[in-house]
Amino acid sequence: MAPPAQSQRSSSPSQPSGKSEVSDLKLQLRQLAGSRAPGVDDSKRELFKKVISYMTIGIDVSSLFGEMVMCSATSDIVLKKMCYLYVGNYAKVNPDLALLTINFLQRDCHDEDPMIRGLALRSLCSLRVANLVEYLVGPLGSGLKDSNSYVRVVAVIGVLKLYHISASTCVDADFPSTLKHLMLNDSDTQVVANCLSALQEIWSAEATTSEEASREREALISKPVIYYLLNRIKEFSEWAQCLVLELVAKYVPVESDEIFDIMNLLEDRLQHANGAVVLATIKVFLHLTLSLTDVHQQVYERIKAPLLTLVSSGSPEQSYAVLSHLHILVMRAPYIFSSDYKHFYCQYNEPSYVKRLKLEMLTAVANESNTYEIVTELCEYAANVDIPIARESIRAVGKIALQQYDVNAIVDRLLQFLEMEKDYVTAEALVLVKDLLRKYPQWSHDCIAVVGNISSKNVQEPKAKAALIWMLGEYSQDMQDAPYILESLVENWDEEHSAEVRLHLLTAVMKCFFKRPPETQNALGAALAAGIADFHQDVHDRALFYYRILQYNVSVAEHVVNPPKQAVSVFADTQSSEIKDRIFDEFNSLSVVYQKPSYMFTDKEHRGPFEFSDELGNLSIGGEAADNVVSAQSVEANDKDLLLTTSEKEETRGSSTNGSAYTAPYDSSSTSVFASQTRIESEISNPTSAGHAPQASLGIDDLLGLGLPAAPAPSSPQLKLSSKAVLDPSAFQQKWRQLPVALSQECSVSPQGVAAFTGPQALPRHMQSHSIHCIASGGQSPNFKFFFFAQKAEETSNYLVECIINTSSAKAQIKIKADDQSTSSAFSTLFQSALSRFGIP
Amino acid sequence: MPVAASAIYFLNLRGDVLINRLYRDDVGGNMVDAFRMHIMQTKELGTCPVRQIGGCSFFYMRISNVYIVIVVSSNANVACAFKFVVEAVALFKSYFGGAFDEDAIRNNFVLIYELLDEIMDFGYPQNLSPEILKLYITQEGVRSPFSSKPSDRPVPNATLQVTGAVGWRREGLVYKKNEVFLDIVESVNLLMSSKGSVLRCDVTGKILMKCFLSGMPDLKLGLNDKIGLEKESQLKSRPTKSGKTIELDDVTFHQCVNLTRFNSEKTVSFVPPDGEFELMKYRITEGVNLPFRVLPTIKELGRTRMEVNVKVKSVFGAKMFALGVVIKIPVPKQTAKTSFQVTSGRAKYNAAIDCLVWKIRKFPGQTEPTLSAEVELISTMAEKKSWTRPPIQMEFQVPMFTASGLRVRFLKVWEKSGYNTVEWVRYITKAGSYEVRC
Repeated sequence: MAPPAQSQRSSSPSQPSGKSEVSDLKLQLRQLAGSRAPGVDDSKRELFKKVISYMTIGIDVSSLFGEMVMCSATSDIVLKKMCYLYVGNYAKVNPDLALLTINFLQRDCHDEDPMIRGLALRSLCSLRVANLVEYLVGPLGSGLKDSNSYVRVVAVIGVLKLYHISASTCVDADFPSTLKHLMLNDSDTQVVANCLSALQEIWSAEATTSEEASREREALISKPVIYYLLNRIKEFSEWAQCLVLELVAKYVPVESDEIFDIMNLLEDRLQHANGAVVLATIKVFLHLTLSLTDVHQQVYERIKAPLLTLVSSGSPEQSYAVLSHLHILVMRAPYIFSSDYKHFYCQYNEPSYVKRLKLEMLTAVANESNTYEIVTELCEYAANVDIPIARESIRAVGKIALQQYDVNAIVDRLLQFLEMEKDYVTAEALVLVKDLLRKYPQWSHDCIAVVGNISSKNVQEPKAKAALIWMLGEYSQDMQDAPYILESLVENWDEEHSAEVRLHLLTAVMKCFFKRPPETQNALGAALAAGIADFHQDVHDRALFYYRILQYNVSVAEHVVNPPKQAVSVFADTQSSEIKDRIFDEFNSLSVVYQKPSYMFTDKEHRGPFEFSDELGNLSIGGEAADNVVSAQSVEANDKDLLLTTSEKEETRGSSTNGSAYTAPYDSSSTSVFASQTRIESEISNPTSAGHAPQASLGIDDLLGLGLPAAPAPSSPQLKLSSKAVLDPSAFQQKWRQLPVALSQECSVSPQGVAAFTGPQALPRHMQSHSIHCIASGGQSPNFKFFFFAQKAEETSNYLVECIINTSSAKAQIKIKADDQSTSSAFSTLFQSALSRFGIP
Repeated sequence: MPVAASAIYFLNLRGDVLINRLYRDDVGGNMVDAFRMHIMQTKELGTCPVRQIGGCSFFYMRISNVYIVIVVSSNANVACAFKFVVEAVALFKSYFGGAFDEDAIRNNFVLIYELLDEIMDFGYPQNLSPEILKLYITQEGVRSPFSSKPSDRPVPNATLQVTGAVGWRREGLVYKKNEVFLDIVESVNLLMSSKGSVLRCDVTGKILMKCFLSGMPDLKLGLNDKIGLEKESQLKSRPTKSGKTIELDDVTFHQCVNLTRFNSEKTVSFVPPDGEFELMKYRITEGVNLPFRVLPTIKELGRTRMEVNVKVKSVFGAKMFALGVVIKIPVPKQTAKTSFQVTSGRAKYNAAIDCLVWKIRKFPGQTEPTLSAEVELISTMAEKKSWTRPPIQMEFQVPMFTASGLRVRFLKVWEKSGYNTVEWVRYITKAGSYEVRC
C-alpha cells in the first residue's frame, strides 16, 4: 500500500480530502481492535500502513489515537513498530491519551526479547510528554543495566531524550554519572559512543549553571578519558570514530611526545574509506600540531593526498564538503598546494558550487612557476556557458594579476577579454583593469589604448561603467575623446539609474576639468547642475561640495580632486585573520562551508524551538546583506527567537540583529560580510536612523514627510519621551526577562489604523514619530507582533512593550514592562494614544 | 557532535513528502515548507547543497528522482552528514534490490521508517551496516519473536553482533562452493586542451569484491604497486621481477582491512564481509595509459556552415576491445541540418543536448575510425557572437584493461578448515569525465 499520491502544497491540519478517510479508518480500526480472528494482523497492518502514510503526507490523524492504542496489543513486531512511530508522533498533542500507551510500553520493556525491550524503551523515551517523565526513570534505569547491548545503546540515548524533556528529573536520578561509568567500562563500543554523545550534550547544557558539570565537561577531555577512547578507537563504528576524534581534537597534550604518540596511533585513520573519519583525523592532526610549526607543515604534506582523493571520489555534494575544507587549508598555506594546481581544474559538468571553490583555490595557489598554466586555464572558463562561473574566472585572473610580480602576460589576457565582445566579459574585465591600474600605474599606456576603444554604450553594468568612467577621468590626458565621452554621459544623466555611476561621473568630470579645462568646462557645469538637483543624497552632497570648493579656490579643489596618487600595494583583505582562525578552530563543521565562525550563524546554546510561520515566503533572504537593512526589521520569527538570536553575537560586535540570522550564509560576493553586518546593526539598533543626529520628535516628523499635525502634548504632560532613545537588542532582551509585567491591556485599533496596516513596517515608522521605537517585529496578516521600547527624556528609564495586533478583530494586546513602575500607566495612555492615531492622516 | 540531525525528509521532485522523520524537537514541524519555499521553488536549487534558512541548516542531495534533506540546528559536521545519506541510500538499495527512487520508497515506506529508527537515534548515527541490520530487520518482519523454531530467532545473536569486534561478518557461514570474485574498476578522468596536451589526467580505481566463503577466512591480496613490491623485495632480499610497478598516490580501505598490518607489512590483509563490498579505493596521477586519443578538427565556414572531423584512436592492445563507446561532439544551438560519414559505428544529431552523438558498440584496439560531418546552421541575427565550444565528451568501457596498469599478483585465502577456493579476477576501465577541448 503506497501513500496516496496527493499533491500537498501545505501541510495544514484541516485537509478536507483527508477527513472522510480518517473517520473511515477509525471505524475499521475499532472493528479490528477486539477481534481475535486469524489473519487479523494482516488487516491491521494494511490499516496501520494507511495511517502512517497519511501521517507522512501531513494529514492529521491524531484523532485515531485511542483506536491505535487499542490495536497495539499485538505480538507482531512490524505492527508494534508502526504503532510506536504513530504514538511518538502524536503523544505530544495528546498528553492524556499518551498515558494509555505507557502501560503497554512499560510491559514491553520487560519482554524477554531484547529487540522488543529496546524498541519499547526507545518509543517510551520518544513520547516527549513532560508529565509522563516519572514513568521513564524506572525502565531507563533497568535499561542501562540490561544484559543486552542493544537495550543499553537505546537506553543511553533515552537518557539524553529524558534530559531534553525534563533536565531536573534526569539529573536527580543521577543518570549522568551512570552514563559516565558505562562510558568507561562498557564492553560495547556503541554504548560507549552514545554515552559520549549524551554526556557532551548534558554537561555542556548544565555547565552554564553548575560548576560541577563544567568540571565534568572538562574531565571528558582529560588524559585518562582520551587515552581510554583512543586505545579502543578501532573497535568503534565509523560514525563513533568521528565522535571520538572530534573530542580528541579538543585535547591539549602536556608533552610533545604525546602528540607524536597520538598521531602515530591515528595515522592509519587517514586511509579509512569513510571521508568523515579522514576529515576528523585531519582535524586532530592539525590541532595537535598548532604549536609545532615544522610538524604542522609536515601534516599538511601528509594530508594532501587523502584530501585530494576524497575530493575526486563520491557525489558532488560530498566532494563539496571536502573541498570546503581543502579550501580553508589552501588559503592558510597556498605554497604547499602550489604544485597540485591541476587538481583544481574544473570539469565541464561539475556543479557551479564546486567550480566556484576550485576557482578560488586556483587563485590562491598561483605563484611564479604555475601562473602561466593557471591563467591559461582560467581563460578557458571565461567562455563558459555558465555565466556566473565565467565572471568568477575573469575575476580570478584579475586577482592573480594583483598578487603577482610579473604581470606581463596577464595584462595581455585581460586586454583580450575586453576584445571578446561579450557584455559580461567586458564588464568584468573593465573592473579588473581599473584595479590593475591602481596597483601598476606603469601599465596605463597599454591599457588605456584598449579601453579607449570601448564604447560606453556597450557597458551597462554599474560597476563596469563606474570603472570605465574612473579611467576616463584618471587618464583623460591620454585619451583623446575623454571629455566628449564624459560630456555625452552627463547629457544622459537622468537615464543613469545607479548612484554609484553618477558619483564616479561627477568626480571624473572634475578630474578631466583640471587636465583639459577648455574642453570640459561645459560638461562640468552640466554635471554640477544635474548633481545638485539629484534626488540622491550623496550625489547631491558631492556635487554641492565640488561646487563650493571650486568657488572657494580652484587650486585647492585641484589638490583635493587630483592629488598625486600612490600605487596601491595591497588590497584590503575581506576577512580578518581573527575570524579565519576561529573558522579553523571549528574545522570539520558547517563553519568551514559557510566560511563564518559558528557564532555568526548559530546560537545553539540558547536556541528555543523555532517555528517557521507560513508566510516566511515573503521574507527576503539571501542577497547582499546590505539590502536587508529594511527587511531585517520585519523578519518573522517567534518572539523568543526574535530576542534570543540577538544576544549571542556580541563578542566582537557589541550588538547584533535578528536579521543576520537570515542573511545568506555563503556570501559569494567579495564584500566583507563582517563590515556589512556591522552596518546593519548600527542602523537597526538605533532605529532613529539617518545618523545619530539628535532631533526633536517634530523634526523627525518633518524629515519623514509624514505631514502629521504637530502631535498634541501627551495626555500626561509630566511624561516626556526621549526621541533619541537607544537600547541595543541584548539589553532589551535582558530587561524583558528581568522585569515583571507592569501592565497588560487590550485596546481596539481604529478602522483607519487597520486599513493602514499593510505590513509590519508601517506601524514602527508611525510609532517612531511618537518617540516609541521598534526593536523587533514580525507576523503576517491578521496577526502582527511588535516589541517597542521608549526612554524617558533626560533620564535613562526604559519602557518595554510587547504589542500583538490582530487586524481582523481590530484589537491590540499590550504588555508593558518598565524600569519605573509608577509611570507605567502614564506611559500606557501615551502608547495607546499614539497607537490610536495610526492611520489617521 | 558529528551530525545530531534534527530531522530527515525524503521529497519527490514536486516537493511532496515521501518520508518524514523528526529526531529532535529543536526544529519546527514545517521545515519541509521552508525547504520547498526557499530552495525547491527558487533558482537556488542546485546552486549549493548546504543552505541556511532561519536558524537551521539544510543539507540536501538528489538521488534519482528523490531529494533527501537533513535539517540540523547546530554547527554540524557536513562531511559526516553527506556520508550518512550516501550510506543510508546504499542500505536502502540493498534492501530494495537495486533501485532507489520514488516508487521504491512509496512501496517500502514502512520498512524505511523501521530502518531510519535503527540507523539514527536522536540525531546520532548508529549502525548502518546492511549485513547486521538484515539479521533483525527483514522485509517480511519477524512474524513472532516468540516462535519456537530456533531458526526464527537470530535476534539475540544479531544484537550482540551489532557492535562486535568483527562487526562486518557473522560467524557460522557455510557455502558449498567457496568463491571469491574480485573486480578492479577504474575510471579515467582526462582534460585535454585543444592543442592536444594533457591538462589533467588521473585514475580513480576501486577494488570490488564478492565473497562467498565459509567460516572466518583471512585473505591476503598482492598488487603490483611500488610500496608493496619494494617491501617484498626487501624481505626476500632479491630484486623484484621486471615489470611495471605502480605508484599509488593514495589508498583508502574498507574497515575490514587491517591498517596496522598494511602500514607495517604493506600487504592488504583482511577478514571480508559476506557478499559484496568495496575493498579499497585508490588514486593515480602518474603514468596513466590513456585508452583513447581524440583528434578533432572543427572548422566554422562562414556563419551558416561547419565542418567537423573527429578521429578517435584506440591505443590499447589489438586483441582487446572497448564496449559502449559514445563520443559526444557539441554543435551550436542553431544547428539545422547535419550529414555524416563514419568509418565505424553510427552517428546522429541529438538536438536535446546540442551534440552529434557517435556510438560504436565494439571498438577494437589499435584502430582509428573517423567521423566527418557537415553541419548547417540557421543564421540568426542575435547570435552573432562566436560560439563557445564545450568540450567533446567520451564514454567507454574497456574490459581487461587498467589505465593505471595495476594487476593482482596474488589473492590468498586462509581458513582454519583449509577448504579450497576459486578466485575470479576481472579488470575494467571506464570513462570518468573524459573531456577533450576543441
